[in-house]
Amino acid sequence: MRINKTLAAAAVIALLGVTAACGSDDDGDEADGGPKTADLVVWLNGADTPQEARDWLKTTFEEENPGSTLTIEEQEWDGLVERLTTALSSEDQTPDVVEVGNTQAPTFTTAGAFSDLTGALPDLGGDDLLPGFVEGATIEGKTYAVPYYAGSTYVFYRKDLLKQANLEVPTTMEEFVDAAVALKKKSGEKDFSGYWLPGQDWRDGAAFLWNAGGDFAAQDGDEWSGTLSTPESLEGLDTYQKLFTEASGAPADANEEDPVTPFCAGNIGMMSRPGWVYGMLTDPKSGCPDLAKQVGVFALPGTDGQPAPVLLGGSDIAVSAKSPNQDLARKAVALMLSEDYQGILAQNGLTPAKESLTSLLGDDEFAQATIAAASNAKLTPAAANWAVVEGTRVLEDLFSQIAQGGDVEDLAADADERITEELQR
Amino acid sequence: MSARSRARRTSLPLGLVLPAAALLALALAYPLGRQVVLSLQSFGLAQQFGAPPEWVGIQNYRDLVGDSYLWTVVLRTVIFCFVNAALTLGIGMGIAVLMTKMTSWVRIAAQCGLLLAWAMPVVAAMIVWQFLFDTEYGAVNAVLTWWGGDYESHSWLASPMSFFAVATLIVVWMSVPFVVFTLYAALTQVSDDVVEAAEIDGAGGWQRFVHVVLPSIRPVLLVVLLLQLIWDLRVFTQIYTLQKAGGITRDTNLLGTYIYSLGIKGGDFGTAAAAAMFMLALTVVVTAPYIRMMLKQED
Repeated sequence: MRINKTLAAAAVIALLGVTAACGSDDDGDEADGGPKTADLVVWLNGADTPQEARDWLKTTFEEENPGSTLTIEEQEWDGLVERLTTALSSEDQTPDVVEVGNTQAPTFTTAGAFSDLTGALPDLGGDDLLPGFVEGATIEGKTYAVPYYAGSTYVFYRKDLLKQANLEVPTTMEEFVDAAVALKKKSGEKDFSGYWLPGQDWRDGAAFLWNAGGDFAAQDGDEWSGTLSTPESLEGLDTYQKLFTEASGAPADANEEDPVTPFCAGNIGMMSRPGWVYGMLTDPKSGCPDLAKQVGVFALPGTDGQPAPVLLGGSDIAVSAKSPNQDLARKAVALMLSEDYQGILAQNGLTPAKESLTSLLGDDEFAQATIAAASNAKLTPAAANWAVVEGTRVLEDLFSQIAQGGDVEDLAADADERITEELQR
Repeated sequence: MSARSRARRTSLPLGLVLPAAALLALALAYPLGRQVVLSLQSFGLAQQFGAPPEWVGIQNYRDLVGDSYLWTVVLRTVIFCFVNAALTLGIGMGIAVLMTKMTSWVRIAAQCGLLLAWAMPVVAAMIVWQFLFDTEYGAVNAVLTWWGGDYESHSWLASPMSFFAVATLIVVWMSVPFVVFTLYAALTQVSDDVVEAAEIDGAGGWQRFVHVVLPSIRPVLLVVLLLQLIWDLRVFTQIYTLQKAGGITRDTNLLGTYIYSLGIKGGDFGTAAAAAMFMLALTVVVTAPYIRMMLKQED
């Protein structure tokens, strides 16, 4: 009997021991900067970063830091905020370097998820770094993330289809909406898009909101509140609804993730996409090089004929505050901001993170559209909780419901309430 | 029986049960305790990254209960749970009875099919279902259009009712195999003599099923129903994936996805923990009658 008891106790202790062993960490680092060699993990999102850049980063980093390795793990943009929330808070699981959407960055910088990069800023590029991005990642004088690339969407159009419909490249918003509707009418197909606008795509929908003078939210003193119900915003949302119902053939509840399939099926006359999508269209395996030859591009025009205010898209890079490899992580960040690496990004249509490197984009039609679109680009509201608004899908819900033909005024009022609630928490 | 052997009889089971109990305590008590603590704190993203949390008492609960949206979600969850559990059990029972009538090779083929459906990982299955119901290129729309329906570019997930219909189809499809296997096993244990005796006494097929077969498999039926209720209350992956594929998030949240959107997406872990406590209470309330029935049966 005694033996039984002892055995049972031993079993319990063994079980406890196993669990404890799982939780213990084994890094005995010497200084604050972390060990000299380590296996670095870098999170990059979506297909934005070209393979060539990834290979360059891995090879160069491992050459410059013998004994260390660098692994790139690709994350999906969809659900990124959730994944970062859980991964960054755990010392064992955190990636060392992360890419984060420029509009998502403030949520993590205010929460203390990223390391302070202020000291390293001069070495990383200083004033040369895209100012809007640095500002967005700075709180109380400390900078927690640096720009990775910028890129606003511009309009891809089918030259042959415009010609067949006797249409010129639109130069004002009014002409653009008319052209989109005319293209759709000419085709007569239900799933053809004069202007491809999936219902959940609020990021491209934002351009119509801003062009009319509206916005998502505004700050009054310390308090942020939703402003989708202002007359200007409503006018912009009406334009969006018109475009969706009269010009788009995309599903009301789909997102903008896959433009290639409908484009290659010949179902798209015009669409707003970031520059690197062109590479996907010309790809012989996944795209349709023949149709892609008909592609022309222009920056979405505003009411006044100047480029419309489109969403200033792009990414930041940051070092996880919980990463044990601070020094090595900073080295990787420096490599990602180097001229070589940024040059590869530029060749693929991404605006480099440093102003002095803009010329790397070249001066073809695509580069011109990129620069024109960026010239009037706008950021989402700079509220600390903005990523929560994005994370809880308030805007996907709103735009999708408008696309389904809902009452714009009621829907905007509801969305305002929810945005205010999230931003004031 | 000597005193010695009696002592052995009482202590050996204790020794055997201890490791399991310790594991349970570790795996259940800690998270539960943590959840209770969290639900009493204001715990946001900053706390997640190391800032000290603030105690707020029952404020989180008060906020939740005062929000009519919670009650909408609770009602939706309960209805979804009962509809799904009932359908799963009904269809599962039907197939199980059918299986007792099959010749053996047909039965084996049916079992293989069910097993494959059951063994398929949820996420992989969800991708297939999404393809099937895709608005533009889905097979379901193509077939319905081919049959003459107006289903070209029909959004299955856009309206909440149709969203939940698709979700129900998927959840039921995934849960039916378990119910079939369990109930079929139970049905094979029903004594043929009793059924035959009932037949001789003049009971028809339906009467035999209701008055003889059902009562003899009642214990198994109760356990399956209980498990099904618990599983359908906690349904998460299917709803979450469908919400991303389309559908209005706010109109289609069930408790599981609501808690997730409060906590992980919304960065408000305190309120999320309070909502999770709520879900725990709901599970207990919904399943209590069945647990009581089961306990009574064992007496």
